[in-house]
Amino acid sequence: MADSSHVPIADSTGGEAVASPPVESERVWRAGKLEPMPIRKLPEAPPSIHLLGPTVFLVALGVGMGESYMWPRLVLVFGPEIRWLFLIGVTLQAVVMLEMARYAMATGESIFAGAARVFKPMMWFFFGVAILVYIWPGHLSAGAAAFEVITGIPWVVTACVALILVGILFSLARVIYNLLENLLAILIGVLVVGTAVIASMVGNWSDLSSTLSGMFAFGYFPAEAMSAQWFPIVVGSIAFAGPSGMQQMWYTLHLRDSGAGMGAHIPNIQGLRNAGAEEKMPSRGFMFDTEDPDEMAKWKGWRRWVTFDALLLFWGITMLVTVSFTVLAQSAARENPDVKSLIEGGDRDAALLAMSDAFAAAGGPILGGLFFGFIALIGMNATLGLFDSFSRGQADMTYFFMPGAKKFKMAHLYAGFLWGLITFGILILLFGPADGPSGVLDILAFLSTFAMGAYCIVLLLVNNRMLPKPIRPKIWTNLIIGFGAVFYLGMLFFSLIKFGVVVG
Amino acid sequence: MNDNRLIRLVELAVPGILVGLIAGVTAGSLALLVGQPPGWALVTAMTLGVPLAVFGGGFGLLAAFGKVRMGGFAPAALYWLIAFPVARLLHEVLTKLVLTGKAGLPPDPLGFLAFQGIISAGFAIGFLWLHERVAPRWWHKVAPHNEQAGIVFARYAVHAERMVKAKQARSKKSRRQVKVSSH
Repeated sequence: MADSSHVPIADSTGGEAVASPPVESERVWRAGKLEPMPIRKLPEAPPSIHLLGPTVFLVALGVGMGESYMWPRLVLVFGPEIRWLFLIGVTLQAVVMLEMARYAMATGESIFAGAARVFKPMMWFFFGVAILVYIWPGHLSAGAAAFEVITGIPWVVTACVALILVGILFSLARVIYNLLENLLAILIGVLVVGTAVIASMVGNWSDLSSTLSGMFAFGYFPAEAMSAQWFPIVVGSIAFAGPSGMQQMWYTLHLRDSGAGMGAHIPNIQGLRNAGAEEKMPSRGFMFDTEDPDEMAKWKGWRRWVTFDALLLFWGITMLVTVSFTVLAQSAARENPDVKSLIEGGDRDAALLAMSDAFAAAGGPILGGLFFGFIALIGMNATLGLFDSFSRGQADMTYFFMPGAKKFKMAHLYAGFLWGLITFGILILLFGPADGPSGVLDILAFLSTFAMGAYCIVLLLVNNRMLPKPIRPKIWTNLIIGFGAVFYLGMLFFSLIKFGVVVG
Repeated sequence: MNDNRLIRLVELAVPGILVGLIAGVTAGSLALLVGQPPGWALVTAMTLGVPLAVFGGGFGLLAAFGKVRMGGFAPAALYWLIAFPVARLLHEVLTKLVLTGKAGLPPDPLGFLAFQGIISAGFAIGFLWLHERVAPRWWHKVAPHNEQAGIVFARYAVHAERMVKAKQARSKKSRRQVKVSSH
């Protein structure tokens, strides 16, 4: 049982404030065996969305091939009714996002630190999984290949140049978070208005209404989907609807660095150029006084703020992009029957090219190029978000939990992981398999989905044991997160045992 | 209305005009990039970009004069529910007119408008997202000579200042605390 249950504070139902003699008789919150969190004031929540917006990272990472390719593909194969599974997948992710935010906003700590408070090896598991899954530069290929179609520049060249540019950009930025938030915000904004404009040009009423109504065909599951060929793909598409793998965990770092909730007490990570200006990182987070009604009112404000972010921005934009691309795929398949067979066949590059041709035939040459422009944009968003998030997450775990790492500044560790990732990525692009060695592809896909089931369990443990009772999740939230754990892990092992295939 | 007042009004509307124009002109620029005739690019940029820019500017003015809630989604969605289908209708009619010399409505105009109305919700999210990023900075820039821009920027600044102060105060405190802990 967590230490918090033995010496809790600021918790009328189970504890009391505890005096800690060394620091000004400071009140602390003890959670797990790590250093206790001092009690500080919770800042006021912002009234609307535009001043802080770490959700841009989640949207940038989450809106990827799942939305622009995998789900349109499933709709063409099984019909729009299959989309109810997408609704379940994205809604589950929205609840996960809210629960990730609960711990990060209440403490100013990442979920990795929360996991370490429960059981340190659990955090090291995520440290290892991140390296194994995310060092392969395969995710660059779709965006760079789309760019090749538009400009003729070979995709490996684009990918290598992009890697170096990303490294320089993040090293020179004064405050990394601000730069990336602004950049991604503009890119995502352009993506959203642009996607809406294209969908408005090529789509029609019947495609849209069938796509939307298909989201409510609960229980529809055609027999063909229960085959060794399709079941792993369907499960993979549900798991990868919205942010996948460890992206939700990284979101807690962005919340902290944007100053959301108790994150306001933690200094920003600086770019390498400004490492000297970095404030010393406190070795643990902070807690607010959950017995104080004023503080609880502010906490409710923060929960409203993040709920708005989760529902409108994350859920809404993910839904919009996938609905738009599904409508596009349907109209492309109508224009050119080859598109349907190519998409069904699973050759992604050929299918995207055929879709672009179909748009060019239907709506003029502009639409063909525009389509690839947006695939390239999605790829760029995902790459920017992923490189920053990976480096931020690994630097965070190293700094706080690797013995001797505090000799370095967080900015140095961040730069070390970033440039390590870039160097390895360029070497692999030039000399090796971009997605990783074929022998380990299944293991990587397994680990990515396993991490999602595992973080649901971590969330249940962290939020129910490491937080004071008044701000712990409600029962229905725990049930949904519990369902997430059973779903991700259950489907993963079912697919493995029944069909001998990991999710795809 | 004198010239100065008109210029100040246009200044307030610039962020909305810019975002509307981006949406229409992106299509045109990409067409040029893939080597299509400049005529194609120009027609789409003008027939869609200009109506979206005009409506975008209109929304910017409503925001600047406090007629719609700062950063609120519902008013933006309602505004574009009308404006986006109209802009798209103009685009269809004018493109046909320029390229074929004959004006004409799209087939099934009511179905067309209904479809555009639904898509407008997505457009509204993207528009608001971009507008809220660009507009406060622009209004701050023109505030010295544009009183209304100063007023609307002040509304954003009041909140931003509160957040920054809170953050600075906390950082100082936490630095002090870290020093005490390390002794």
